[in-house]
Amino acid sequence: MTFVLPIGPQHPALKEPEFFRFEVKGEEIVDVDIHLGYAHRGIEEALSRRNYKHNIYLSERICGICNVVHTTTYCQAVEQLAGVEPPERAKYIRAIIMELERIHSHLLWLGIAAFQIGFNTLFMLAWRDREYVMDLREMISGSRVHSATNTIGGVRRDVKTEHVPTILRGLEKLERSTKYYINLFGSDRTILARCTNLGVLSKKDAIKFCAVGPLARASDVKTDIRADDPYGAYDALSFNVVIEREGDVLAKGMVRLREILESIRIVRQALKEMPGGPIRTRVGLQMPPNETVERTEAPRGELLYYIRSNGTDTPERVRVRTPTYGNFASMKSMFVGGTVAEIPIVMWGIDPCFGCNDRVTLVDSRTGKTRIVSFDELRRRRK
Amino acid sequence: MPRILPQVLKNVLRKPVTVKYPYVRVEPPEGYRGRPVIDKEKCIRCWLCIRACPDRAISVSKETKKPSIWLGRCTFCGECAEVCPTRAIAMTKEFELATYDIQQAKSE
Repeated sequence: MTFVLPIGPQHPALKEPEFFRFEVKGEEIVDVDIHLGYAHRGIEEALSRRNYKHNIYLSERICGICNVVHTTTYCQAVEQLAGVEPPERAKYIRAIIMELERIHSHLLWLGIAAFQIGFNTLFMLAWRDREYVMDLREMISGSRVHSATNTIGGVRRDVKTEHVPTILRGLEKLERSTKYYINLFGSDRTILARCTNLGVLSKKDAIKFCAVGPLARASDVKTDIRADDPYGAYDALSFNVVIEREGDVLAKGMVRLREILESIRIVRQALKEMPGGPIRTRVGLQMPPNETVERTEAPRGELLYYIRSNGTDTPERVRVRTPTYGNFASMKSMFVGGTVAEIPIVMWGIDPCFGCNDRVTLVDSRTGKTRIVSFDELRRRRK
Repeated sequence: MPRILPQVLKNVLRKPVTVKYPYVRVEPPEGYRGRPVIDKEKCIRCWLCIRACPDRAISVSKETKKPSIWLGRCTFCGECAEVCPTRAIAMTKEFELATYDIQQAKSE
C-alpha cells in the first residue's frame, strides 16, 4: 500500500515553484514523479523577437545565479554566427568573471545544503564568505548579480590594474575558508551523519541518464566542458577536473568545494597571464543566415545554446538547454529507496535552479521514461 | 561542550560581519551602475539611447522633446550611458529607488 506525498509547487523545503509527487511506503520512497514548467516565462520566444544586442540582457535574466555564463554562451554563439573572434584580453576577463560566479554559486549551494540538513551556523558562515565574492564582482562589473559585462565581440568593462590586489586579497580569504569547509565536510559528525550514503547516483546511472556537471563528477564521470571542449581562455589556463567516486550528497558537496579551490587557481592564473590590448571588437548586428551550437560549463553543468539566424538583426530561433534540465532524469534513481526526511538535501544535491528551467517534462512513473509535452497537451491532460 | 567554549568566547568578542544598514551605509564601488541621470543641456536628440535600451525604458516627452527613463523598466545595464555621444546620460551610485510616487520613478 503506497501513499502519495505531494511536494510543491509551494513548499517550504523548495525555494522555487516545482511539483514533485512522491509515492511512499511508510518512510520509504518507492517512486517519484516530477512536473516542471511552473516557472515558464516564454523567454525563448521573447529571444526571437528582439535584436541580438538586446537579447544579451534577456539571456542574462534566464538565471540569476549563473547569469555571466548565460551571456558568455550567447555571445560566443553570436560571435560564431558573425565570424568574429573576441580579443584575447576579453576572453580572460570573461574567464575571471565566470570563475568568480562559479565560486559564488558553489558557496550558495553549500549554504542552502547546510540549511537543509539543519546546520544553520554553516549556512551563515558560507553566505558570509559569499559576500566577499559578491563584493569582488560588484567592483569588477558594477553590479552584485547581473554583471552586464559581456557584449557581442568582447566585454564592456576592463579589469583595472588597481583592482588586482583587492581581488587577490579576496581570493586569499576565500581560499582559507574553503579549506576550512573541506576539512569540515570530511570530519564533522552532523554532516557525515546527514550526507553519507544518501541519494547515491552510481556511475552507471550517471552515464545512462546523461548527468552533467558536479552531479556527474561526483559519480566518477570525468566530464567538464572547460576541459573537454575548451572555449574562450580555458585553452591556455591549466586546471584539474575534480572527481569523486561515491556519488552521494557528501561527494557532491566535496566536488563543489574542491572546484572552488580550482576556480581560485584559475582566477589567479588568469590575472597573472592576462595579455594587454583591446577588450572588444565592433560587430554589425546583421547576421548571415546560419545556425550554431555553443556549449559552456555553467556552475551546475553543461549549458547549451542553439541559435538560428536568418539574415536580419533578430535570431529566428534560440534554444537554451540549462544544466538543471539535464539533471532531472537522474533524480529518480537518487530518490528511490531513500526516506522522506532525505528529500530536501537530496533534491538540493543536484543544485536545482528552476528559474533556468522553463520547459515541461513528464516522468512516467511506471517505466521511468521522460518525455517532453507541450503546454496544450498538458492542459488537455488536466481536464 | 568544553570543546566549543573557545570558539564561543571568540565569537562573543568578535565584531559582527553585517552592517546595520539604514544607519550605517556602505558606499558602492567606483563604476557602480545605479540610477541613470540625464543632463538635458547636453542632449542633442539623436535618440541613440532609445535604440540601445533593451527594455524600452526610455521615452520622449511630447512637450519638451527630451528623453526620460522610466525606472520601473530600467535594468541598469548602462547601455544608454555607453552609447550617448555627448555623455548626457550617466550612471550614479544611487540604488534606493523604491517609492510611492510614480513621478519619482522617472529619471529626467
